[in-house]
Amino acid sequence: MLFSRRLMLGLAIAGTMAGALAVPAMAESPTEIDLFFPVPVDGKLARDMGTLIKEFNETHPAIKATAVYTGSYDDTLIKTRAAIKAGKPPSAVIMSANFLLDMQIENELTNLDSLIAADGATKDQFLGQFFPALQGNAVINRSVYGVPFHNSTPLLYINADKAKEAGLDPNKPPQTWAELTDWAKKLTKREGDKVTQWGIAIPCAYDYCGWMMETLTMTNGGRYYNEEFGGEVYYDTPSMLGALTWWNDLVYKHKVHAPGATPGPAVSTSFISGNAAMMMLSTGSLTYVRDNAKFNYKVAFIPRNVRNAVPIGGASLIVPAGLEADKQKAAWTLIKWMTSPEKSAWWSRATGYFAPNMAAYKTPDMVDFLNKNPDAKTAVEQLDVAKPWFATYKTVPVRKNLEDEVMLVLNGKKQPKEALAAAQKAADETLKPYNAETSLKLP
Amino acid sequence: MSLAEPAALPVATSAAPRLHLLKRLSSRFRASLPAYLLLLPSLVFLALFTYGAMGRVLIDALYQRATPKAPVRFVGLDNISAVLADPAFTGAVVNNLIYAVGTAIPSIGLALLFALALSRTNAVSSALRAALFLPVLIPMVAASALFLFIFLPNVGLLDYYIGRLLPVVPNWLGDPDIALTAIMVITIWKNAGYYMLFFLAGLQAVPEDVMEAAHLDGAGPFMRLRYIILPELKPTFLFVIVIATLNAVTQVDHVFVMTKGGPSNSTNLVLFYIYQQAVEHYDIGKASAATLLTLAALMGLTALSFRTMANREGRA
Repeated sequence: MLFSRRLMLGLAIAGTMAGALAVPAMAESPTEIDLFFPVPVDGKLARDMGTLIKEFNETHPAIKATAVYTGSYDDTLIKTRAAIKAGKPPSAVIMSANFLLDMQIENELTNLDSLIAADGATKDQFLGQFFPALQGNAVINRSVYGVPFHNSTPLLYINADKAKEAGLDPNKPPQTWAELTDWAKKLTKREGDKVTQWGIAIPCAYDYCGWMMETLTMTNGGRYYNEEFGGEVYYDTPSMLGALTWWNDLVYKHKVHAPGATPGPAVSTSFISGNAAMMMLSTGSLTYVRDNAKFNYKVAFIPRNVRNAVPIGGASLIVPAGLEADKQKAAWTLIKWMTSPEKSAWWSRATGYFAPNMAAYKTPDMVDFLNKNPDAKTAVEQLDVAKPWFATYKTVPVRKNLEDEVMLVLNGKKQPKEALAAAQKAADETLKPYNAETSLKLP
Repeated sequence: MSLAEPAALPVATSAAPRLHLLKRLSSRFRASLPAYLLLLPSLVFLALFTYGAMGRVLIDALYQRATPKAPVRFVGLDNISAVLADPAFTGAVVNNLIYAVGTAIPSIGLALLFALALSRTNAVSSALRAALFLPVLIPMVAASALFLFIFLPNVGLLDYYIGRLLPVVPNWLGDPDIALTAIMVITIWKNAGYYMLFFLAGLQAVPEDVMEAAHLDGAGPFMRLRYIILPELKPTFLFVIVIATLNAVTQVDHVFVMTKGGPSNSTNLVLFYIYQQAVEHYDIGKASAATLLTLAALMGLTALSFRTMANREGRA
């Protein structure tokens, strides 16, 4: 305690001195901007970001951008909000795409329409560069608040060797829930009551669980939330009931999915070690699987019950509210540069996310890369059926209202029907203040 | 002053002492001025970062927004009653009580056992002491990341060995019935070595001659433990219990890294609940109110135990 206080004092003094020294030097220098960036997958991303920003600074002498690493997606939201509250917002942030609505409701985002108009482009022209599926999370009330930067969708990963062993053709992956259930049964190995190999693994931890529930609900024809209005979620609905019941059946009826809530890293480790023969996971894990799997694997669309549909994931670039005009302009230059086809394609190859800018896939380097790694193509193809990621008022608590109940179901402590009714009730309660101000504020 | 002029005495005492006192005070102040000046930087930072923050929490706890766009307004104790009515908070308090008792007792018991076993210094006991102290040196976050791997269902280190013995391998962190226990095991592993240090120090203070006398009187090892060592260790016990309780409330790094309070809030502790209110719900009023409640409980507990300690020492 004493030590840390002393350390803080030292740091504070050092900081003041550094600030005092830096001020005169800054007087004639270029516009300085900060970019907050999270690393949601692995450490290599930070180095790639350094390379990217260095190149930007070399080609843009009037701007000096600094990339500031801010932890996970959730941490980045916290730090951005703290910086805004302290009156020193960063100039640009790579923000989880489904936090944008909540930030907009809290007046923390800069409306980008005027910056787009200043470039002489219409909104449609600007948004037209990106895959249509990504626009839903970038546009709020017909105004642009974010620019898609790196994105993902869930995929079905199949251990091709084990499929062949079980007499299944990995080149014809399961396309429906019925087929997937059948595959999972054939791929589950038992010794007496004990399962030595699980047919399928689907992650469920805070954040991932909500995303997987949205995936299953969407392939069952559902919507999960109101895309047009942040005050409604559709938890207690037939489409979600079917989705959760099927997940529950995989665990307790067919016994092809391990009971309990399993986080994403545990699922991928399980798949890599051969303990699970199939898994549903983000495209963001594709590079990890490619580098670590000692067997042949296949990736496929998420199977459907009613229709093919998946939510997107990933992050968008945003400009926080309350910036000076020159910083705003410099940030906008940086954002446009980072989301250009060439940079977008480079970032996609470096990280495993797909590039949101459609033109990125026409660059020669990207065409080459896709020919060498056809599995990366599946993710892009699935984009045709992708839809926005759930975003509501207080996205995280509303998501947690559902996740807590799903976890109870996966642990055999609740039946799907009552769990979803409880989740709906809790979410309605969380959304109440927003509805009081919007849908229920009557003249 | 002589006995011959007694009348002068009251006059002198009526005026002079006050002046005297003032003078004394100012001279005392002058004497301690350098000390205050030297303390000033620390006092400024203490005020800014310790008491300032506490004051801010106190103010924040009294304000709330009715709807997202509404301005914050004074709501008095509404935030506190909202926190108390929140089942997630009461759940976190219950979890925290289980966690506090379930980590304090085993880790203190183990610490005492280790200290008794290793109280004599030789090469072997020094090596063992170092080994038992090792978990203290590992940062909680790093340890949690390690245990995350150990607890991995089906493929983790633990299931790899235990899985052969059990018919169904438990999902250590994914089952709401087991997750809190798993978290507690890590805490015990991490803290027992630390508390051992206090007991080792406490054992040094047990008077040698009393022990020898008891030995001569024919007291066996158990009798010596029961009637001499344990009573001598009482202050150490009190101190370690306070530290262990504080740890149970303030150490939530592993919850943060391993479970985020899940599954289904089964490992949600009070401090993590506060974090959730502040960050996920973005509800500073409720987070501050929960902080105040926790702070009050902790301060009460600490005051109580230190008073008991002071009483005990006063009696001795």
